[in-house]
Amino acid sequence: MAQETTTIRATFPSLEWFQALKDIVNGQEAYRRIGTCDTTMGIKIPDLQKYYVVTFEAFEVADVREATEDEVEDCDFWLEAPYARWKEMLQNIRANGKADLHHTLNTLDLEDPEGFARSHDGLRRDAFYRFNQSLQFFFDASAAIDTVFVQ
Amino acid sequence: MATVGGARRPPPETLEEIHMSQQTTEVPEELARLAQERDFPLDLVRRALALGFSPGAVRAQLLRGISPQEAEEFLAQQERLRAGEEVEVPEEITQMARKRRWPAGLVQRALRAGFRLSEVRAMLDAGLRFDQAERLVIIRERSQERQREGGEGRQRRTELPWMNVRTEWGVRVRPGKKGLTLGSLNVGTYGDVPDYWPYQTEMPRGAYHNPGAPPMGYTIYEKAELWADNAADLYEEAIQRQWKPATAIPWDDIAALPEVQERALAQLCTYLCQNALVCSDVIGRWLKEMSYGYHEVKVYMATAGFDYARHFDVFRKRAYLNGIGMGRQSPGYYLRVIKDARRWTEAATLLFIFNSSYVLHLCQVGYYAAGSEGDALIFRLAMQDLARQTAYGVKHLQYFLMRKPENREEVHTCLQRAESLFAYEDDKDPTLQEALIVLLGGGLGEEELKRGWALLNYFRRRWLRDYLRRLEAAGLPERRDRLFPYLRQWAPAPAAAR
Repeated sequence: MAQETTTIRATFPSLEWFQALKDIVNGQEAYRRIGTCDTTMGIKIPDLQKYYVVTFEAFEVADVREATEDEVEDCDFWLEAPYARWKEMLQNIRANGKADLHHTLNTLDLEDPEGFARSHDGLRRDAFYRFNQSLQFFFDASAAIDTVFVQ
Repeated sequence: MATVGGARRPPPETLEEIHMSQQTTEVPEELARLAQERDFPLDLVRRALALGFSPGAVRAQLLRGISPQEAEEFLAQQERLRAGEEVEVPEEITQMARKRRWPAGLVQRALRAGFRLSEVRAMLDAGLRFDQAERLVIIRERSQERQREGGEGRQRRTELPWMNVRTEWGVRVRPGKKGLTLGSLNVGTYGDVPDYWPYQTEMPRGAYHNPGAPPMGYTIYEKAELWADNAADLYEEAIQRQWKPATAIPWDDIAALPEVQERALAQLCTYLCQNALVCSDVIGRWLKEMSYGYHEVKVYMATAGFDYARHFDVFRKRAYLNGIGMGRQSPGYYLRVIKDARRWTEAATLLFIFNSSYVLHLCQVGYYAAGSEGDALIFRLAMQDLARQTAYGVKHLQYFLMRKPENREEVHTCLQRAESLFAYEDDKDPTLQEALIVLLGGGLGEEELKRGWALLNYFRRRWLRDYLRRLEAAGLPERRDRLFPYLRQWAPAPAAAR
């Protein structure tokens, strides 16, 4: 999926960055065509103590918000990796227009013994697989953001 | 339509019309007498009748002992609503509705349907979800419509018996964010999914029974034997997220892997084709046993059968794509256990938890070893379908165990059979194992095989972890301690992949 030209500059991680991503995704018909996606996904960057919750509902990203660690762990699943890993993934997406095979959500998950996608519930974690194409689209859309990294 | 004095006329729509209607509304003598006995103002009775409430409904309220103050509050609210005005909802109730994720407008709709604010507050206090509250609102709306319906309309329907069946008419469903979904039709009495379905015919739930219809020979009539609360949603998800192997995969861009890996991938694809065909057979075998009272499960199973057809199709294409073709058949010992299941719950648990977990992990191996975006996409899309199937399997087993805890041991027995025959097959026929080692290791050299072996064990540990977590979510956490011994070698937490 080729991404559109850069229209916004935002700092990662920040609510502003996730809000920009939400707006980009919601403006793309290709995202709707993948089909409905209903899940809550947590974002956890432990070394920066940064936590976000992204809510996917029907054909759109319904909400993004900053959250506590407990709220993130209450999601269907959360994506957890050190800041450097997040940065590497997003830089790869920016450079290629989308994640290459070594930086997709699935690959990052498979390479981490604990999993990139985690959950306290074996059923709810499966949302990571069920909606994987939509979730990958979401992060791939960050290619259109001129991301400034905090470190 | 309000009928007063035998003549039909449109219900009053403005406050002025309402007031005029009140002045001309006659109160039946018996009702007037009852109001007098109860010291209840006749004016309030007249206002209720003018709003279209039937004399019977007003009588019931008088007998219930409604106070003039309560009646005044309620009627004033109804008059404002009928005149198209909004009723002021206390901020506290608005906040509670937002917290319960009720859609905007449901509180107003409930009030318009005749609920008092105190009743709406009680629904929120009781923790009713929006869909549950909406069902109550629809039932009340229907009841209001029936009260207003004139005798003329009823009489007309007796001329056409099929128009007079005792099903719930007047139920209206509004499309939501996902369109008009199967689950959204479960409102009013249509939302009542019975614990036992009493009809042996092909009558859809909600229709009126035709005594002449022949029985169709279904065998599953009990909700606990097939139900999963997420079945309707999974059906929608399956049809919304379907994909087409012929065009969704960039076939032209999938370059051949080095020959030994391409052969190993073809062997994996052969296994996945065989597995998908068996699963499709199992669903076909059971679909015709499920009675029509539980159509959510039936239609979801139709999509699951289609998923397997698609998997057969896509993996067969991938095996042939670069000139290799089909590999060696698998013995299929443990798949026989699934085919031979004598109860749907047994078949579903083995198919959607045990087998789907295993096949999902094979797809993870395929994804990890993918040499192109096309190969990765094939396995990603297959995993999406398989994870949806585990979602049904887990929720059904959960439902079954809650209602039939006495059958817990039976579930363990069937898992034990599948696990032990899987172990036998894995130990006696190394075809698939060897193919996976070559695929993961990248070749036939000693170092490559060592790496492949280590990675296969890594992926198997992930498989066992996920399998046991799904069973735990279904309410069977003790399976961890009862796992068949052969599988315990992979039960610990996975070590690093690289």
